[in-house]
Amino acid sequence: MNTLTKALIMLIGLSVVTTLLAIQAPARLSWVAFMVLFLSGLKARIILNSYLGLGASQFWRRGFTSFIGLYLVIVFGLYLLGTAP
Amino acid sequence: MTNPPASVLDELPGELMIWVLIVSELLVFGAGLITFMALRMAEPETFAQSQDLLNRTAGAINTVVLVFSGFCAAVAAQNAKRSPMKTRLWLGGAFLSGVVFLIIKYSEYADKARLGIGIESNDFFTFYYLLTGFHAMHVIAGLVIFLLLLIRPAPGYVHAGVSFWHMVDLVWILLFPIIYLL
Repeated sequence: MNTLTKALIMLIGLSVVTTLLAIQAPARLSWVAFMVLFLSGLKARIILNSYLGLGASQFWRRGFTSFIGLYLVIVFGLYLLGTAP
Repeated sequence: MTNPPASVLDELPGELMIWVLIVSELLVFGAGLITFMALRMAEPETFAQSQDLLNRTAGAINTVVLVFSGFCAAVAAQNAKRSPMKTRLWLGGAFLSGVVFLIIKYSEYADKARLGIGIESNDFFTFYYLLTGFHAMHVIAGLVIFLLLLIRPAPGYVHAGVSFWHMVDLVWILLFPIIYLL
């Protein structure tokens, strides 16, 4: 199985898990939001590394991973601020 | 005599300009989604009720459709230097998947219109239509690029066009959970 096929299977699997997690979990829970964003970050990393070819460059792989990671942390922070009682 | 040190820019696959475009688009959509989350803080109930009106299953199916489309595009790029025929075949697969994405998106918009929901209904739906609509426009742009590549699948053009499509895919991967699932 080549890299692209592995990436496709991983992306579909993570997408299904993300959606099921969000639909099945009761109400809006913080840990569910964290997992949904974390899994989305993993999917973004797979696209960057396997499809856009950043896997070959450690510098750019780290740069983009940090950028998307920071962005998702900000989103999660805003989620928590908007959910607090 | 030693070679001058290579720039890290040389490590980027493909054209530099396509990466400038990718980063620009990520920043634009990122700013839109962060604004969306900031507005949610002021109206959590409205956002929660509005989000429950979205069709999460359709959104999830569209995620899988777009991911599959990205796979087809990546395989097309892999074949670009070897076989124009295979490149066209896989680009065709990516194009058709993109069309399916738009059909599902249109059906979502039509459902909302039937419920009387529009861009001015509330802040949630303003950003829902702005962000998903802007993304759909990128999908349409990608489909036009695919049509041009089907006519002339030169390797350099295929790589740039496919990179654009992966950017569209990447934006959806980040947009879908924030608008539909959180």
